[in-house]
Amino acid sequence: MNKILTQEFIQEKFAEYYRQNLNSVKPPTSFEKREFAFLLFKERTMLRHKGFKNAEDFRSFLQNVLPSDVYYSSAYYEKPEEEMDAKGWIGADLIFDIDADHIPTPCNKHHDAWTCKNCGTTRRETKPERCPKCGGQKFDDISWPCPICLESAKEETMKLIDVLDKDFGFSTKEMKLAFSGHRGYHVHIENEAVRTLDSIARKEIVDFVMGLGLEPALYDFEKGEGPKLDDSGWKGRIAKGTYEFLLTATTDQLEKADLRRKTISLIIQQREKIVESWKEKGPWKMLKGVGPDNWKKVIQQAVERQSVKIDTVVTTDVHRLIRLANTLHGETGLKKIEMHVNDIEGFDPFNNAIAFSHGIITVDVVDAPQFMMEDRVYGPYRNQRVELPTAAAMLLLCKGAAKIMEEIVDVQ
Amino acid sequence: MQRLDLRITELDNPEYSRILERAEKRIEEAILYALVSEGRGSDEVEIPSFPIAVMMVAATNDPFLKRRYALAEAKRIYSILKQENRQKLNEVAQVFNWKVKPAKTEAAKSQTATSDFTLHFTNYLKNTSNLRESKWKLVNRNMLNGEAHLTKDEAARLLAEEVRAHVEKKLDIKIGIVLPKAVTKRAERLKQLFLSRRGQMRQEEMPRETVLDAFPPCMRQLYNMAPSGRHISHIGRFALTSFLINSGMPIENVIECFRPASDFSERMTRYQVEHIAGDRGSRTKYIPPRCDTLRTHGICPGMDEICRRVKHPLAYYRRKLRIIKTQTPATAPRA
Repeated sequence: MNKILTQEFIQEKFAEYYRQNLNSVKPPTSFEKREFAFLLFKERTMLRHKGFKNAEDFRSFLQNVLPSDVYYSSAYYEKPEEEMDAKGWIGADLIFDIDADHIPTPCNKHHDAWTCKNCGTTRRETKPERCPKCGGQKFDDISWPCPICLESAKEETMKLIDVLDKDFGFSTKEMKLAFSGHRGYHVHIENEAVRTLDSIARKEIVDFVMGLGLEPALYDFEKGEGPKLDDSGWKGRIAKGTYEFLLTATTDQLEKADLRRKTISLIIQQREKIVESWKEKGPWKMLKGVGPDNWKKVIQQAVERQSVKIDTVVTTDVHRLIRLANTLHGETGLKKIEMHVNDIEGFDPFNNAIAFSHGIITVDVVDAPQFMMEDRVYGPYRNQRVELPTAAAMLLLCKGAAKIMEEIVDVQ
Repeated sequence: MQRLDLRITELDNPEYSRILERAEKRIEEAILYALVSEGRGSDEVEIPSFPIAVMMVAATNDPFLKRRYALAEAKRIYSILKQENRQKLNEVAQVFNWKVKPAKTEAAKSQTATSDFTLHFTNYLKNTSNLRESKWKLVNRNMLNGEAHLTKDEAARLLAEEVRAHVEKKLDIKIGIVLPKAVTKRAERLKQLFLSRRGQMRQEEMPRETVLDAFPPCMRQLYNMAPSGRHISHIGRFALTSFLINSGMPIENVIECFRPASDFSERMTRYQVEHIAGDRGSRTKYIPPRCDTLRTHGICPGMDEICRRVKHPLAYYRRKLRIIKTQTPATAPRA
């Protein structure tokens, strides 16, 4: 009963948001060539292959269906409403998804939990092979948007923007940046030249951004002219990563990099000299007795540090559905929100992406880790009734971590 | 053809026999040596022999021959372009609408390898997808502002790739007219020659039963993960499913592999497996992604000795099968 009530409540809140903000839901470019998809509250099914002639039709459809999530295709089609095989693919925007799921973060995702599908046991810990209570093997994952995760995602996004700007030459105008509404950021590139790239070409872009398949020998470290700090592209990144690694790596990290013992002690003894060496030709020829194999391992570490952690599948998929800007994320009640690439540094998802800023709601929290909303820290909560501002309450409700009790609307 | 005032219907005319012969020779060379010689004949023969050869190959309707011929013509172009100067290469690149520029001297100076041209990365990517050497990977290429640096020789190589794609496209057209006998007879003869050659080249058929011992490390890992119910990514499932199907495993057995998965649904799994097997939807039977794609998506667990020699998990499987076979006494080569 309570569960249904909670779902109806969320849906009603979403309806209210779309009633008040319908005009802010910005249809994508080349509107009539995109496929739209809607995740429905009740059936939890995806309504796909929808196409619209104009923004009006789209908005009135949105208001009638009231979905939990709204997506559109990065692809352009002749006939977006047809089945996949008959759509007539014309091209697709180049998209990047940076999600905390793909980044090792300092918080170690301690806030994430699993629920056993069989007995309903929920624990906030790494998912086990089998449920300790009933032995079940099927789980639901519950992940949380945490400030540390989102800070890591932001750093990766800024690295990505740097690569797209300097190496690929995309202008800041061509890059559309948005907070995803949950645990990361999206970057879209709408540019004629990239539109027709196939999935293999996009895979090469992924490999470039992540530094995958980088062959150290092709970066001339064995010759006199090794990578220098002011070099452009991956050459410069190798230098920066190597600088950082040789300066900061602990003995443990150097051992983990599989370096020879002699190399490790040389690095530790000569740290100051190494730092000095970057003013000229770098350390490549300086450390006597460190051979190419060990340098290659150092470069691998450097690349790992400079690599941008993106979701490889999203970028290589030329039929991808992606959340529409200014629509709500069904798992958080936050909105996907666009920003200028220069504004990302000061962007705060827990302030800038809030969709519900009025009122207070009382909810019964089953289990929630500590979380943040509008500059305030809440929780952790376990089996307790709490009164929360709407945005915080909506996060718990959408996550399934709380059930609805009553709503006390602000008297304004 | 129009400019040469050549009519297809007149090709039976003996005065064109030298052109037809050269056209046939081009294809024969492609079949036998995988390249087309530069040709010593006069331009009157050499130039029209190319479109005629294209017509002949198109008439064979054999996709493998088409691919081989396009590749051979591209090799011919490469050996010609290699000797041309920058100016000429630039002109050829313009024909294909490449966004190409002569490299600026300052930019070239900062390179250790000399760079003669810069090419927009989209043109670069479209023409390197078949080139597997690591120097062609974009990540190993000096790129600034969307412009990839190329030496003259590299530019010639990429132009040859462009030619290959161009010829393949030409070969793909359906011939709507009845071709003269002089052409069809030759096309038929070439097709027979190719088939007899290919018979020798063709690798052994896949065995009926899936041989687990011949799985590459990536597929072995995915295959072992499936029954433990551990989560396999979407692309991992696709790779495993298409691999198993192509190794000859019956659909029912493939579906069973996924049963323990935490989100298993028989209906969905059956639908997807049948789709990949080509029993549904577009009727395309899918093959697994090649090695470098698996690497991008983090599915490659690291290479073994055989991996280093192949670029595709199915190629690994075939190779390993051969090794296993030669090791079993029954099929050991006779002394």
